[in-house]
Amino acid sequence: MEKLLQVRNPDNKLKVGFYGITGCAGCLLSVIFNEDELLDLIKVVDLKAFPFVKEVNVDESFDYIFVEGLVADEDDLEVLQRLRKNSKFLVALGACSCTGCVPAYRQFTLKENYEHLLYRKREEIKDLQPTPVDDHVRADYYIPGCPPDKKEILNFLKGIAIGKEPKPYESPVCIECRKNGNQCLLDLGKPCLGPITAGGCNSVCINGGFECWGCRGPTKDMNLPLMIKMLRDRGFDDAFIEARMRTFVGLKMPIVEEFMKSKEAGGKLDTKFYGKKEYFE
Amino acid sequence: MLTLKQEKKRFREFLEALSDSYELIAPVKRELVKFDAIKNINDIHFEKNSYFPVKEFFFKKREVLFTFNGNRILEPKFENKERVFFGIRKCDLNAIKHQDIVFMQGANDPYYIAERERSFLLGYHCNEAPSEYCFCGSLELEDYFDMMFYDKGDHMLVEIGSEKGMALYKKFSGFFEKSTRLIAQHEKKIPGADRLKVKDIGPLYDNPDWKKGVDICLSCGACTALCPTCYCFDIHDEVKMSNPGSGERVREWSSCQLPEFSRVAGNHVFRNEREQRFKHRIYHQLDYFKEKYGIQMCVGCGRCIEGCPTRIDFVQIINEMKEGEKR
Repeated sequence: MEKLLQVRNPDNKLKVGFYGITGCAGCLLSVIFNEDELLDLIKVVDLKAFPFVKEVNVDESFDYIFVEGLVADEDDLEVLQRLRKNSKFLVALGACSCTGCVPAYRQFTLKENYEHLLYRKREEIKDLQPTPVDDHVRADYYIPGCPPDKKEILNFLKGIAIGKEPKPYESPVCIECRKNGNQCLLDLGKPCLGPITAGGCNSVCINGGFECWGCRGPTKDMNLPLMIKMLRDRGFDDAFIEARMRTFVGLKMPIVEEFMKSKEAGGKLDTKFYGKKEYFE
Repeated sequence: MLTLKQEKKRFREFLEALSDSYELIAPVKRELVKFDAIKNINDIHFEKNSYFPVKEFFFKKREVLFTFNGNRILEPKFENKERVFFGIRKCDLNAIKHQDIVFMQGANDPYYIAERERSFLLGYHCNEAPSEYCFCGSLELEDYFDMMFYDKGDHMLVEIGSEKGMALYKKFSGFFEKSTRLIAQHEKKIPGADRLKVKDIGPLYDNPDWKKGVDICLSCGACTALCPTCYCFDIHDEVKMSNPGSGERVREWSSCQLPEFSRVAGNHVFRNEREQRFKHRIYHQLDYFKEKYGIQMCVGCGRCIEGCPTRIDFVQIINEMKEGEKR
């Protein structure tokens, strides 16, 4: 609370910055999609840096810094550590930043599966194991999703502008989904992860008939053994289930990790399934 | 209670006349059956009960309570255009009754009252239980409608249940014939809907068999979103970006199945265990509400079972419990 009061100085607007490290910039686009309210935003906060849209960016002393993307090489790490040092609060923006998302999937597969896809001049890139930002620096807040809901980002900004502690959305997707009048996709035999995934996305995928892949991460209170059983009952094999649950939040699903580690001695991740070609196609 | 008769042809004409003069809302089959405004009366779905409850027309999913600007508060304007609901089943009519108890007698909720007052409730009797999960016969349901339609094959018998229903009848009296035949109590019973055998679940609270349901519960809240009687909500402010001192105060459906529902200041969660939440819903439906208002809240529509991703049939779980057993 004391920290919040420090920031809430009526004479000074909050100094805010948006940065991207390794990622697709989709989350930054999500910020810009609030185009109708973006001009109002700069009345409330001081948008000091947003290299994606601004030409002049001042890279020092932020109140809030929003980081999109994950750490995949040494440059990323350097940028991230500098940003952390220059800001009071660091907000992990998007699934890459919060949980590793698709780029971190590289950790679950064998090198020979992807090596041929890499840039030819690979030696120029000093790559690191792809990891979310909080593996390296402290993250104060998380805005999950691939990409996050544009309204959610705006609500976060509104919240900090009036000195309100941002609250994560922890309820599963299902309740929003039923409110939106959708048919349960699990009833149609689709491998929907809605029951164990934190909502806040207004069940956008299911509204369009596409099952939930769990991009916003698991709920704190998920019933994972039951979810796995439900998917098995619907005829999905373990390899598929693990791959699906790992796609967006693999690094932050400790139970899946245990589930997988138990398969192979030595605590190594089970990679034999991920090598199968059909799961990449 | 006034009873009327209506040939099927006249019944159709009556519905057409209704849809000409009012907004007519009835069950429609899309992917799933839901209540919606209809243009063509051929769209009305008679076979199954709606998958989604009708409560969303009265107790809305999202309701703007008022807008504010600094200290100034602007209350919303209430809609007063009359509308007619047709095809509400007995269970749902009673669910409306139970929500009326909560919002009209208890709290005097102006938003709910405005929606209720502009609505006519025309029921449609189930000649047999429309779903295998129905158990309305095990609960004390009453007549609660403006008009009720009983399908008797080639004709309809119609009961008028309120002054509002009487006014509607007088407006459309040309479509009805007087009937001397009254509807007997046994005709109002729905066959095949008497599944719940236990009348008082109070002593069963510590029964170990609850675990059967808790173990296959995802705590997803689908049951409460589909329940026609569940009335829990959450209130929050949505401020404007251009002026964070102004905005809207919004009420939205919430669910007792979510840990955050019982979170209080200091981050304490009263019902943190899945079992506490699971039992709370069932006990609120079948026990606590009765303690407070003298009637069980649940109306036995079975939606929470049909709409549950794992089909937790709490009725069966309760039926199989042995009294006196404790953990």
